[in-house]
Amino acid sequence: MLLADADARAAGVMPGQSGNAALALLPMLKLDERNVLREQQVLESLATWLEQFTSFVSIASHNALLLEIAGSLRLFGGLQRLRQQVATELRQQGFDAALAIAPTPLGATWLARGGRRACIREPANLATAVRTLSLNCLDWPYTLCEALTGMGITSIGDCLRLPREGFARRFGAGRLIELDRALGRLPDPRTSWRSPKRFCADYEMTEEQNDRERLLAICRELLLSHEQFLLARQLGTQRVLLSFFHLKASATQLSLGSAAADRSADRWFDLLRIRFEQLSLPEPVIAIRLRGGNTQALQAETARLVGRTCHERRYSMTQLAERIAARIGDQSVHGIEMVADHRPQFAWRARSLLAAKVTDVLSVVRRGLRRPLWMLPEPALLPVKQGYPLHQGRLTLIEGPERLETGWWDENGIACDYYTAVNPRGMRLWIFRNRKATWYLHGIFG
Amino acid sequence: MSHSSRDDSPTPTCRYAELHALSNFTFLRGASHPEELVETAAVLGYEALAITDECSMSGVVRAHMAAKACGLKKLVIGSELRLRSGRKLIVLVQNRNGYAALCRLITKARRAAEKGQYALTRQVFEDGLPDCAVIWVPDEQLALDAEDHWIRETFRDRLWIAVELLADGRQRQQLERLREIGARLRLPLVACGDVHMHRRSRRILQDTVTAIRERVTVDKAGFMLYANGERHLRSREVLQHVYPADLLAESIHIVESIDFSLDELRYEYPDEIVPEDETPASYLRNLTERGMRERWPEGIPRKVILLVEHELELIAELGYEPYFLTVYDIVAFARSKNILCQGRGSAANSAVCFCLGITEVDPERMETLVERFISKERNEPPDIDVDFEHERREEVIQYIYEKYGRERAALTATVITYRPRSALRDVGKALGLSDLQVGKLARSMQWWDGQRVDDSRVLEAGLDPDSPVIKRLLYLVGELIGFPRHLSQHVGGFVISNGPMSELVPIENAAMPDRTVIQWEKNDLEDLGLLKVDVLGLGMLTAIRRSFELIRDFSGCEYTLAGIPAEDPLVYDMICDGDTMGVFQIESRAQMAMLPRLKPRCYYDLVIEVAIIRPGPIQGDMVHPYLRRRNGEEVVDYPSEDVKSVLQRTLGVPIFQEQVMQLAVVAAGFTPGEADRLRRAMAAWKRRGGLGPFEDKLISGMRKRGYDEGFARQIFRQIEGFGEYGFPESHSASFALLVYVSCWLKRHQPAAFTCALLNSQPMGFYSASQLVQDLRRHGVGVRGVDINHSDWDCTLEAGDDGKAVLRLGLRMVKGLSEESGRGVANERRSGAWCSIQELLERTGLSHRELGVLATASALHALEGHRHAARWAVAGVEEPSGLFASMDRYEAIPLLRKPTEGQNIVADYQSTGLTLERHPMQLIRHRLDRYHYVQAGNLPDFVTGRSISVAGLVITKQRPGTASGVTFVTLEDETGHINLIVWKKIATQYRAALLNARLLGIRGELQIEGKVIHVIARQLIDHTDMLGELHVKSRDFR
Repeated sequence: MLLADADARAAGVMPGQSGNAALALLPMLKLDERNVLREQQVLESLATWLEQFTSFVSIASHNALLLEIAGSLRLFGGLQRLRQQVATELRQQGFDAALAIAPTPLGATWLARGGRRACIREPANLATAVRTLSLNCLDWPYTLCEALTGMGITSIGDCLRLPREGFARRFGAGRLIELDRALGRLPDPRTSWRSPKRFCADYEMTEEQNDRERLLAICRELLLSHEQFLLARQLGTQRVLLSFFHLKASATQLSLGSAAADRSADRWFDLLRIRFEQLSLPEPVIAIRLRGGNTQALQAETARLVGRTCHERRYSMTQLAERIAARIGDQSVHGIEMVADHRPQFAWRARSLLAAKVTDVLSVVRRGLRRPLWMLPEPALLPVKQGYPLHQGRLTLIEGPERLETGWWDENGIACDYYTAVNPRGMRLWIFRNRKATWYLHGIFG
Repeated sequence: MSHSSRDDSPTPTCRYAELHALSNFTFLRGASHPEELVETAAVLGYEALAITDECSMSGVVRAHMAAKACGLKKLVIGSELRLRSGRKLIVLVQNRNGYAALCRLITKARRAAEKGQYALTRQVFEDGLPDCAVIWVPDEQLALDAEDHWIRETFRDRLWIAVELLADGRQRQQLERLREIGARLRLPLVACGDVHMHRRSRRILQDTVTAIRERVTVDKAGFMLYANGERHLRSREVLQHVYPADLLAESIHIVESIDFSLDELRYEYPDEIVPEDETPASYLRNLTERGMRERWPEGIPRKVILLVEHELELIAELGYEPYFLTVYDIVAFARSKNILCQGRGSAANSAVCFCLGITEVDPERMETLVERFISKERNEPPDIDVDFEHERREEVIQYIYEKYGRERAALTATVITYRPRSALRDVGKALGLSDLQVGKLARSMQWWDGQRVDDSRVLEAGLDPDSPVIKRLLYLVGELIGFPRHLSQHVGGFVISNGPMSELVPIENAAMPDRTVIQWEKNDLEDLGLLKVDVLGLGMLTAIRRSFELIRDFSGCEYTLAGIPAEDPLVYDMICDGDTMGVFQIESRAQMAMLPRLKPRCYYDLVIEVAIIRPGPIQGDMVHPYLRRRNGEEVVDYPSEDVKSVLQRTLGVPIFQEQVMQLAVVAAGFTPGEADRLRRAMAAWKRRGGLGPFEDKLISGMRKRGYDEGFARQIFRQIEGFGEYGFPESHSASFALLVYVSCWLKRHQPAAFTCALLNSQPMGFYSASQLVQDLRRHGVGVRGVDINHSDWDCTLEAGDDGKAVLRLGLRMVKGLSEESGRGVANERRSGAWCSIQELLERTGLSHRELGVLATASALHALEGHRHAARWAVAGVEEPSGLFASMDRYEAIPLLRKPTEGQNIVADYQSTGLTLERHPMQLIRHRLDRYHYVQAGNLPDFVTGRSISVAGLVITKQRPGTASGVTFVTLEDETGHINLIVWKKIATQYRAALLNARLLGIRGELQIEGKVIHVIARQLIDHTDMLGELHVKSRDFR
């Protein structure tokens, strides 16, 4: 149990309990699982957001952010005003933050952890403020804190009172340095947080342009600088959005998608060319904007190598699918995927080609089963005469039964016997009989 | 569904024997109990059914018993085997010789693989598996390669090819293909059903166990599931339409070649227990007579001679000599190694066992008991369990293995079956519910009876009882409960045979390295009349042996179990006071509360005491009538002389399991065999549901013999209440002896007894802290852990007055390994230490271990208080070669002396107890305004008074027998306070009850003689007053 709301706390639920203990107290308790990744994302987005107050934001730990604010004081009207503003806006976003201001990063971090709403400007005052903080504020390993507590050392002040040499010998020089850094006796450089950026660039023309080749060339230039941008950051993207601005009409949008993260200008340009052929522009173009999609990490060289070694352009399944989709639109291209399910109607499904790789699709096909290539979307009821099903004449059962009784776990369970049957015209049909002895046609063999 | 046949004209039904059927002992494949398969096969009129669990014989005894009961024409024993190469064979036993061969083969295959797995290669078939019929289940693609030819050559004239037509749509091609192969290899074809369940409706469960086995959800299991439910026992009419007649007839042909029943198995005792020139009977007589002379050196009482003679006659008549001799041999080994042991069980409490040294229960003291324990009418195999010191039981087990070899001695298995919670967890997972959802439901099903679940429970868990998923879940859970899950090893049931065990039953690897178990459990052995010896571990025996050694080393007095002075009134005085913390069996809170009321004054009172405070008698409402009658508040009258003869010794109240069985015989006309079945049904009725047939028979039997309905109903209710907890008098008698011995030690040698208990932890009901406090309250001094005085174990030292005081041992220090602790104690023999540096250099203790010693204040003599000691420990350095003890100058730190509170916290953390003041004393002044009364002052108040008490929560217990009552024990500086918290109050103060470490109570005082309880009305959580002084409670269910 990490956090409990007021109702839960009133019932005795408290942090540190096991989930079962909490449920014993409050059977109706709603439990949410902690999502560390999400926490990290939130912290990063907060860091990005805080960049408005200072050019230097640093992520100090899983729950602490550092802002260097000396340079921002004048801009935001002084320390108190700045603090006020940060506090208020954090609260408006729903965050409960402990803010502490100190001349050193560690000093501020520890004070904040200690829940002190300190605001210390003079390095000389720092030691006094920090002295009374408990060891828990230090983020030191549990075993170290336990050892110190066992010696009766419970606060930072206690640590500072110990002989320096003896302290360093027992607990490591690193800890001593940490204390010195916190007190400003040693420098404590930090790395700044850099928010990942999406590419966005405009190309404005001096005059309206109608020459499609020229427009393509400009797009290519934009794609090249897009590639440069991503390359520098070891990133790739799956989306590129091009906007063609006109003087009067609203902008024409063209969105490109790729199955895997990519940055190669050549590849994006290939896709663009196919789509651009069909693109109708209501007016001449005055400006083009390229906006990159969300970025993701992409290894440096691999993409390029592939591009260069493929002299004769043989398209992979993925590329082929991309190119077809680029021509006729994403929605119109599907793959078929076999699904391991005994029920014929659930044995395949459509899937987007751009979602994932199209390989190993055929691995789950069951051996030796005879299934018609043409399946009816819905089984069709067959008339019966003298106990025999009819479909353009009386049917003769030539193979079967194949009994299927399965799928009880959802609402589409089946229990029926499938047969291969022929009619007088020689059509081979796939029919079944259900528990009520009713006959249906389900497929036709080619 | 009957649509396999289109013409409904009646045809003469064929004869058929199903030769390929898996029960649920093929774990997570088979979906029916062996009994269900057998009963269904009988109903369908099959000529025979083969149980062919995969490389296992675990289900065959159950099938065998069911077949006898329901009249199945023939039960065939066999096994499905999958070779390493993937080939699948069904092996059917043709006679006793073939059975031995198959058991040997299974043993080899199982022993060659991990627990639960098996490995079958061609080498395992070296002996060619004689006297077995083999059915080959060919793959879809039959390559006819070397492996196939090997199969053909190995089993040529007793090999068939299985044709299993299961409506997969390709029956015709399959049949054609197999016909062709059969012709090519000149092998006959036979129809088989690949049976996985007794009826079609189990396919849902079969799909579910498949998903559980493959660790996927059912909807993702795809082709791992079977497409249909054809793998059930199909009716012969259906089979006739599926299979050609010649294939069905061939199954009969195979069955005709089979002539074997498990009834043929005969148990043979090991030869070596009898010297060459003796017969078992003469040897047993010699040993008994020798023992008799040792037990009564001044002359054997005539009564004993007659008794022994009578018993020996009985034993000879039933042929049980080798069994007694086997047990004697094991016990004699333990004696020779000074391992304390004691037998118990129906045969143990005989004069012969006393003479053989198997038990210490003097038949003179037990006069009334002996005759009841062996009975030829009941004809049940004798049952002797032997308890050994728990820490030395392994030596005994190794002796057995060494003496008889692993081929002839093995542990029995315990079949672990699905319980509601495990079933819920596995089915929930298979249906794709989240762990959290399943966990919630599992919580609220704690007391599920296995039949149905209240909708409100499901709602409480936040799930909708009407949703189809939940309905499926609950249905499947109900079906799965009771299914075997895996084999585990029985705690100590040994089977020893004369010939190789693996020709009697297959042996497989257990989870523990070097352990093997047979594939049968206790009940299977009983059903076949095979005998076993239970080799069990008992912590109290360890503690008693240690007490004896401590007393010997301290004062030179030698004691033995038999040598403890009998019937000492001082011991019974102590017991009547309920002053029994730490002793055997009667130390629980419930027992303690009962003692002042029961007022035991003799050995047999203890026998009753041991048996009566158990869930069985409590649920059967036997405790209070017994108490009233014992105190003379209620007249005892018996409905008949017969009943009187059974119940007289327990004042008309059935307390022991044996009494229930005897009642069934004398009052309801059961045969001894039926009474024995009743006993076994009693043990299992809650799980399997139904004493049904017994209820009718019992009540009508008693009515017929003139007992009134009320009495009959009452007896039946008491039997039901006994459930699985019914305690046999024969066990109680042996336990009572240990109760007495441990009480004697506590009364007369408290320091030695507590010391031995501490050295035998973990055991018993109480923590080290409670035991030590109890000792101090009895006026015995206790000294702390000290590096210059403590051994690894706790020891006795002479106090100022020469009496023994307890010195805590290094074993009390958490985090110190036994090896290091013993090393320290050994090294100290060459002189005490003067400094921590010296300690480090001479013992090589790690920094961490020095740290825990410092925290435990064990270095007090070297460095002063624990803060200083830890600073010093952190500063010492490993000796580095030549400059070993070069002193280094260090500034002296300013370290605060620990406060008393800090010391108490550290004491609890590092040794689990403190010799400082009780934590309650430290905060008593802060509790003053609540006017809490101390435990020691409670007797001064009158019963019924409102009272407030407070203390550390040391135990919480919610017994299943006490309808929602929680028993809480508080501890303050003067003693214990027993609380009763009714369900309503427990719900109202749920948070305080669950979380509080320091609890304040307002309630009502109840005093009954020496028994004091406080009925809680209000609970106040004072835990925050403790600060860091927190004490862990022991929670029992």
